[in-house]
Amino acid sequence: MRELSALQARFGAGLEVAGSQAAAPDIFHGESGQVASRFAIYRGNARANAARALAAAYPVVGKIVGGEFFSGLAREYESRFPSVSGDLNEYGESFAAFLAVFAPAQDIPYLADVARLEWRVHRAYYAADAKPFDPARLSSVPAEKQLHLIPKLHPACSLLQSEFPLARIWEVHREAHQGEFEVDFSLGPAGVLVYRPRFRVEVRRIGDAEAAFLAAARGGETLDAALTAAHSLDVSFDLGRSLGEWIGSCVIVDFTLNGG
Amino acid sequence: MSLLSDPGDKSAVRGVGIGLRAAHYRDFLDSQPRTGWLEVHSENYFGDGGYDLHVLEQVRSRYPVSLHGVALSIGSVDGLREGHLSKLKRLVERIDPALVSEHLCWAAIGPRHFNDLLPLPYTRQALDQVVSHVSQVQDTLRRRILVENVSSYLQFRASEMSEFAFLAEVAKRSGCGVLLDVNNVYVNSVNHGFDPQQALLEIPVESVAEIHLAGHSETGDLLIDDHGSRVAPPVWNLYEAACRRFGPVPALIEWDTALPPLNVLLGEAAIAARLSEATHA
Repeated sequence: MRELSALQARFGAGLEVAGSQAAAPDIFHGESGQVASRFAIYRGNARANAARALAAAYPVVGKIVGGEFFSGLAREYESRFPSVSGDLNEYGESFAAFLAVFAPAQDIPYLADVARLEWRVHRAYYAADAKPFDPARLSSVPAEKQLHLIPKLHPACSLLQSEFPLARIWEVHREAHQGEFEVDFSLGPAGVLVYRPRFRVEVRRIGDAEAAFLAAARGGETLDAALTAAHSLDVSFDLGRSLGEWIGSCVIVDFTLNGG
Repeated sequence: MSLLSDPGDKSAVRGVGIGLRAAHYRDFLDSQPRTGWLEVHSENYFGDGGYDLHVLEQVRSRYPVSLHGVALSIGSVDGLREGHLSKLKRLVERIDPALVSEHLCWAAIGPRHFNDLLPLPYTRQALDQVVSHVSQVQDTLRRRILVENVSSYLQFRASEMSEFAFLAEVAKRSGCGVLLDVNNVYVNSVNHGFDPQQALLEIPVESVAEIHLAGHSETGDLLIDDHGSRVAPPVWNLYEAACRRFGPVPALIEWDTALPPLNVLLGEAAIAARLSEATHA
């Protein structure tokens, strides 16, 4: 066998086989026992590299379930969703979907949601940069046109909904977390905002009106329309205060005028 | 002139550099450690933005930087992945590196990527494929790249020439340079039973533009190229032979697992600089 396509197909098929005792391809020099043990090193490398990348993307899931259980999850995940990118920072995208249906992971009902949040956090870390918005620029827009402005969110920003107090669960399991470990599960469903003021990704719980406003902004709506969406849920939503806060934390990084 | 080049010269790699890893970012942001140049793994900077790119740009303003790819898979029987190549091109345009390199290996087949440096059969067909891919990369990036020999644990029965004759031919036909990993030459010489000094003779003198040095570990009859320790004595010996044959080529200390404090890497770099200087005195 000399064809490159056949040799690589054999090599690749050997790497997919689970277990170190699986037969190695007979395309290599050496006696079969030695070839098998050496081939197992390649099989182990591929698996270990994927597992390391998954652990780096999902530190909180790892902390919740513990190292040994996480290793098992990583093995199962890799067998169903193997790496398809040369950039291992892209590996693990389907982990939340996997956890949502993988039977042994069902004991922790919020685990899949934590994974969904961690993937957003992970990708936010690599998202494009954006300069903070200078609020002074708003004063150049005539007052009667200001509500027609369309806010632009930072590329790292994203919104999630969960029936669990997700932001708090995430916070108390972080490596750097100090203080109370208590999570009040009676808090009920809530929105979560993922954002990146500069280089560190932040996560916080947001109210329904804030979530509605930011979702409208993300959808390209004007301040006017976003405000209407927010007020339909909470009449006390304060536009000025929220805008100030979001501009200050780089959630909103620009405004454009409708039609130009 | 000292082999540790003037840090103000950002255009070319000279002397001995070290691989920059995230655990040492702080050292390079807070001060200016004395090293000839820095090398990073290209794929770690494939994001659209964020902290890693920020650090790389800061570092690039003070040191020559080499972009070392680990996953382009130039030996795949499938074509190069356009998305991967275009991300590399974007990074090269952003960083303006002194060197760009990749590995003589394959890693992907069909949709699957193994994220490892898998060995090639050294056949004429594989040679045509690699040469064509290296040319495509060089045309896309509009620059010469370097191609590095990898460590391996197995050899294909199908091979028609030695690893180093193959690499020499890739360089000759594509015009690329050779990144000679001296540790990998030594590791393979033990794993496959050949004379590492003879292997150096198969590489044309003028093709070598960079040398890699790293540690390996030993398990039974096999050496594992884990980049997790100091450079081993026989690898230093081989490095001296390489210095004599290839002249004052820029060299790099690589360390990836069990990363020690920066000073340990700088110490290894100083040893390499001394050996190289002694050879060319």
